[in-house]
Amino acid sequence: MSEYTGTVLDKTPPPPAPAGPGRKQRRRFWSARRVPAALLALVTLVIAGAFLYDIAAVRADRPAMKWRRELARQLARRPLDDIWVLVGAGVAAALGLWLLLLALTPGLRPLLTMRRTHPDVRAGLHRDAAALVLRDRAMEVAGVQSVRVRVRRRRADVRAVSHFRELDEVHDDLDAVLTDAVRGLGLARPPALSVRVRRSGRKG
Amino acid sequence: MRAVLRVVNRVLLGLAGLVLVALGGSVLAIGLGAPAPSWWLHDGKDDVLLSEAERTRWREEGWWWPVVVAVLAALLLLALWWLVAVLRRRRLAHVLVDTGDGEEAVVHGRALEHALTEDAAHLSGVEQAQVHLTGRRQAPAVRVRMSLAPHIDPGTALDDLTHRTLAHARDSAGLAGLPAEVRLRGVRHRAERVS
Repeated sequence: MSEYTGTVLDKTPPPPAPAGPGRKQRRRFWSARRVPAALLALVTLVIAGAFLYDIAAVRADRPAMKWRRELARQLARRPLDDIWVLVGAGVAAALGLWLLLLALTPGLRPLLTMRRTHPDVRAGLHRDAAALVLRDRAMEVAGVQSVRVRVRRRRADVRAVSHFRELDEVHDDLDAVLTDAVRGLGLARPPALSVRVRRSGRKG
Repeated sequence: MRAVLRVVNRVLLGLAGLVLVALGGSVLAIGLGAPAPSWWLHDGKDDVLLSEAERTRWREEGWWWPVVVAVLAALLLLALWWLVAVLRRRRLAHVLVDTGDGEEAVVHGRALEHALTEDAAHLSGVEQAQVHLTGRRQAPAVRVRMSLAPHIDPGTALDDLTHRTLAHARDSAGLAGLPAEVRLRGVRHRAERVS
């Protein structure tokens, strides 16, 4: 079986729009972090509300609720090297790290920033959409039987299976067509192209 | 989403994260045997999280309960405000249009959204479009979501949107500018053999 794999890691295409506000144009989309914010707000609301209610009740000469007495008892009894205290502290620290990560990273990884064609318009392209476009274009190349495309933030991986023509020729054609297609995506930071062509296993 | 809320969300999330990391991390470290500085809350691994004496230290003072209640109430109000701000979807009900003769006309936000959506959905290669108005009455902005049909270059679709739909809306409503945030998605479809 003639199994042949060729790889070309293209040099990253030249950065577009070298003039102008440069960096500002290529800024990523930053998520508003609505869901974590809503969850944290809800948790804070419930905890503060419960304490406030119970403290007010105690001020009004009613007995404290059972959970608060139990909580105070446990806090005063368990030493720091108690296994449950350690587990709780570990969970709290991990959750804290996660919240910090959410606060400091942009998020919205699937959204690729597009080149600005108008100062008022900020656009992003979902990377699944980019992959679909590249796949459709790759399928137009003669000799390509099937293609799998994965677009990541920096790189687009194209795996093609060819059932006729020389693999080198198919590879060159794919490269040309896809380079053009990547330009057509209109991204601010076009992904580097990595093309691989393989001979179809089924055909003799 | 207004930019302010995005910053607020991130600052508050970061603060909560810092507090959790500090408390959880310190308890974990001291509990596992790390030496504790003398000024810290806990002084060794045999210490408890919050002893009876620590908890009731200021209880007899006159200011203690009012302060506790005030802090909790402030926290409660802050959380309530935050939750409402995050959950509320702000949409523009009206847009002020300068008619050119010194008068001002009011356009219904829904009508403008509808017109923009229709316009965008009829661009070639666009399967679906959704337009929301945000911003202020005098300075509206739009958020656009579009699904692209197969065989259309996203760059071309964006150009069409910018130079036809958005430019048209800007001109017909007499706006100085119409900032837009556009997100493009693809419509899943099968790979087709062409040749």
